Amino acid sequence: MAKREPRRDLWLLTPGGLLMTLIIVVPLLLAFYLSLIDLDQYTLRRWLDAPFAGLDNFAEAFGSGLPHAIGISVSFAVLSTVATVPFGIAAALATQNAYRGRGLVRALFLVPYVLPSFVVATVWRTMLQPDGIVNTVLATVNIDGGLWLSGPKSYWTLVLVEIWAAWPFLYLMALAGLQSVDSEVYEASAIDGAGWWPKLTRVVLPYLRGPVLLACLLATLNHINNFTLPYVLFGAPAPDDVNVMPMIVYVTSFQSLRFGLSAAMAIVSLLLIAIPLFVYLRALRLDVHEEGGRR
Amino acid sequence: MSRRTRHAAVALVLVAGLAGCGGGDGGGGDGATLDVLIGANTQYPQEFKAWQQSIAEQFKAQTGASVRFEEFASANDELTKIQTSVVSGTGPDVYAVGTTLTPTAYSTGAFVKLDDEAWGKVGGKDKFVPATLGISGPDERNQVGVPFVSRPFVMVCNTELLRAAGISEPATTWDELRDHAKKLTRDGQYGLAVAYKDNYDPWKFVWGMSAQAGNPLVDGRTAKVQDPIVKQAYETYFGWLTTDKVVDPAAVGWTNSQAIAAFAEGRTGYMALTSTTSAKALDSGATKGKWTFALLPTVPPGATARPAGGVEAASILSGDNLLVADYSDDQDLAFQFVKLVTDQQAQLDYYKAAGNLPANAAALQSLQSDPKLVPVAQAAQKSVATPFTGAWADIQLALTNVVVQSIPDLAKGGVPQLDSRLADAQKAAQSALDRAK
Repeated sequence: MAKREPRRDLWLLTPGGLLMTLIIVVPLLLAFYLSLIDLDQYTLRRWLDAPFAGLDNFAEAFGSGLPHAIGISVSFAVLSTVATVPFGIAAALATQNAYRGRGLVRALFLVPYVLPSFVVATVWRTMLQPDGIVNTVLATVNIDGGLWLSGPKSYWTLVLVEIWAAWPFLYLMALAGLQSVDSEVYEASAIDGAGWWPKLTRVVLPYLRGPVLLACLLATLNHINNFTLPYVLFGAPAPDDVNVMPMIVYVTSFQSLRFGLSAAMAIVSLLLIAIPLFVYLRALRLDVHEEGGRR
Repeated sequence: MSRRTRHAAVALVLVAGLAGCGGGDGGGGDGATLDVLIGANTQYPQEFKAWQQSIAEQFKAQTGASVRFEEFASANDELTKIQTSVVSGTGPDVYAVGTTLTPTAYSTGAFVKLDDEAWGKVGGKDKFVPATLGISGPDERNQVGVPFVSRPFVMVCNTELLRAAGISEPATTWDELRDHAKKLTRDGQYGLAVAYKDNYDPWKFVWGMSAQAGNPLVDGRTAKVQDPIVKQAYETYFGWLTTDKVVDPAAVGWTNSQAIAAFAEGRTGYMALTSTTSAKALDSGATKGKWTFALLPTVPPGATARPAGGVEAASILSGDNLLVADYSDDQDLAFQFVKLVTDQQAQLDYYKAAGNLPANAAALQSLQSDPKLVPVAQAAQKSVATPFTGAWADIQLALTNVVVQSIPDLAKGGVPQLDSRLADAQKAAQSALDRAK
């Protein structure tokens, strides 16, 4: 006789469901609605009566600087993520085994990550001034540093500072992955006479694949959404080379006061972020709860 | 308790809890609390708090009502607050709004238009410096802003360096300023400190020079950014670094505060754009006792006298206006507050606390006994309002963007793409004016 499935009190989900609705669903629907109306400083007061604009805001967004901003944002985010992976894994490997002072090293590695973005950007902005410490040091070896915060080089400044600030996240995820490797696996490979390289590439790294790929996804999304760093480093309006999506949405919304247009830009950004997220989650089946629920 | 009853009770508690999250503003009459939104003062925070306390006590004594000050950190914070208040119909009763933000605030239609009765409640227009009324509204019958404080822009000169260079009086034309700066530039010493990387300074030069030459950048609903006068203004501004070489090359990375700091080191003749709030920094550097304020030139580049149609714009009309929200239940109380803080004594107290010049004419007059403030007071009287249009924020942004995108060229010694950048700015400005309602 089959055991009777216990009755689930689904009503207990009500508080969480209500909060999700209030915090996620309602603002999302509102943003979508705003993207379809001509909402600006003139119509803000009676926003429910603002003229319906259809897809005009989306057309204007694509006709203005949005495609350029998307290109900059995506390339900046992908580059930053790819560059942080080796740093993160190397740091995790360096702090995996116990040694004297390991706690201090681990704490130091986390410093860039725990500093607020505002502080990181302010410090780097000061160092990268035309007469700042970076150019002063470069001048001692006859290198003209030039402008780090304006023009084409500003893009590389953004990438470098983001790498500096974000690599500990990859380190943390890789370290968590390393600690989940069973000690028996190391012992078995040692008994088999595996050297450090085969052990690294055939034993350790396969274990890290899941956590590191997840970290890459989350880090890329964080980079794409990072507003504080470019805003504090370069100010608004930003140089064209670092006019990333959050900056263009911010300027459109809070300096040009075109809320409908900026909502359309934000929706496009959201879709852009949602596509790789969806594909990745489906491909890797990271939703383990569904699997766990199967009997 | 049945399952259904239990569910209903939980839902009721949740709804009640969520409803409880919403706050209630308002109230009115005796014993009411007036909410005032005002910009934070990061330079003199203690003195500013003491002024707020003093005003609150005076207001309580006069009206029996309390004042609650809420501070904002930046113009963007203020704009966000205005937006949310406009949409929700609740929020502060009185706003201290920057002059260049006043057209934007006006365009929302959320503030009380000041008729004769309203002006009477705050003490009449006559009590204010006439120039400060220039950005209260688009015309005399549609004013929303009561002048609160004035922050006119001026130059600051290093008197010791000017004397050593044989310069007896500060420059009064832009060409003369360039010539003075050339005389002052030698051996690690520069003639001018300019904040090219600042997000607020550059457009003020361009607007000032253009207005002096007869082009206020907006003519009705037409933008006039792509104009030889404006081009000459940009060329003059860039030329100080690229052709005249009277500015430290590092200035391409300077904000206004960095330019002030560079001037305060004592190796620069003029700092081209500042206000009274920089006095503290100037007195704490190598310039202590060696500096004086001076009016910005009022004759456009390439001229020895203002052409017909040119205006004597010594500064943009800069400062704060007080606006009363039309959703406020305590408008009479709000006007009493506005009257209190714009009366002579309160204005002088505020000057002492925060370093901002009074908009009250009698209070400003009484400060002219301080010789250092004479040029600043003159600048306040000769300030000219920027065009009163809701499109101004975008126009300002477009003018600034020309400089932001030109900085790499500027560092290389020339700005060959100025024409195309001016064309972009013209397009952005015209588009904003076309949208204006």
